[in-house]
Amino acid sequence: MAPTIESVYLGNGGLSEGNNKRSNRFVKATWKNNLTALVVDNVELCRVLERENLRAYGVETVAVETGEAAVELVASGSTFNLIFIDIYLPTMSGPEAVRQIRAMGVRSKIIGLTAIITEKDEQDFFAAGIDEFYEKPLDPDWFVPIIREVDNQI
Amino acid sequence: MLGLGADRLWADMNRLLALLFHQGVLDEQFVQLQQLQDESSPNFVCEVVTIYFHESEKLLKNLRGLLMEREFSDYKKMGIHLNQFMGSSSSIGAKRVRNVCVAFRAASEQNNRAGCLRALELLEHEYCYLKNKLHELFHIEQQRLLAAGVRYPMQN
Repeated sequence: MAPTIESVYLGNGGLSEGNNKRSNRFVKATWKNNLTALVVDNVELCRVLERENLRAYGVETVAVETGEAAVELVASGSTFNLIFIDIYLPTMSGPEAVRQIRAMGVRSKIIGLTAIITEKDEQDFFAAGIDEFYEKPLDPDWFVPIIREVDNQI
Repeated sequence: MLGLGADRLWADMNRLLALLFHQGVLDEQFVQLQQLQDESSPNFVCEVVTIYFHESEKLLKNLRGLLMEREFSDYKKMGIHLNQFMGSSSSIGAKRVRNVCVAFRAASEQNNRAGCLRALELLEHEYCYLKNKLHELFHIEQQRLLAAGVRYPMQN
């Protein structure tokens, strides 16, 4: 069945029970697979909104504050279909975190994020191993097609 | 009369929002933010905006602190603060604040201290205006919910 964008009210026994920590959440999309995402952003507001936007579209999402936390999480065996990561992180930068994650053999879709794209940042981040690079904030116009693509590839 | 009160307040809210959109103070991203609010998190917008105020005030304090240093030269640190401010402002749809941050960042990249100071003053002004208007919006919303609650006292 092709994935559809439809508004689904998740009550007990809803279609995607495992996808959200909040029960009774109005989810804007359902997918063929149970999709997971990791958000890496040291700005609390951005981290909260990125997480909630993805959850609103039915993606089970974990958010961490630092590159080190992201690398540790992946190294411990956690797997994610999608990783959204800010370029500017304290201590371990976004590109460094991506390099280390890719070096572990992770083939998840990695989307780099920034407040404003510069040519140098774009080169550095793609060289580190991201698949796509976007300016914040997360906009359904661009992140929903990415989710759909990942869902179709599983 | 009480029902009219809630309706009037609803109209006031929409008028204020329309004004803020028209002035370019807020953009479409604020609507996206409102769409994340639902029955499971009825205060989501207010909570997120409160985080934004808290973070923004810290950043403004840091920026002013940097520029007031006699021997200031850490434009890189300034760039990091501005990047954070731009990201969070974009995320809630604070368009004018974000645009001032972009101009501020350009002055910072040119090591233009006078330009940075001018930009900081403008940024503080824009942020202050935004904060006041959002407080006004939330106040009207609170009043509207109270008025609607009084209108239907038996409905739970």
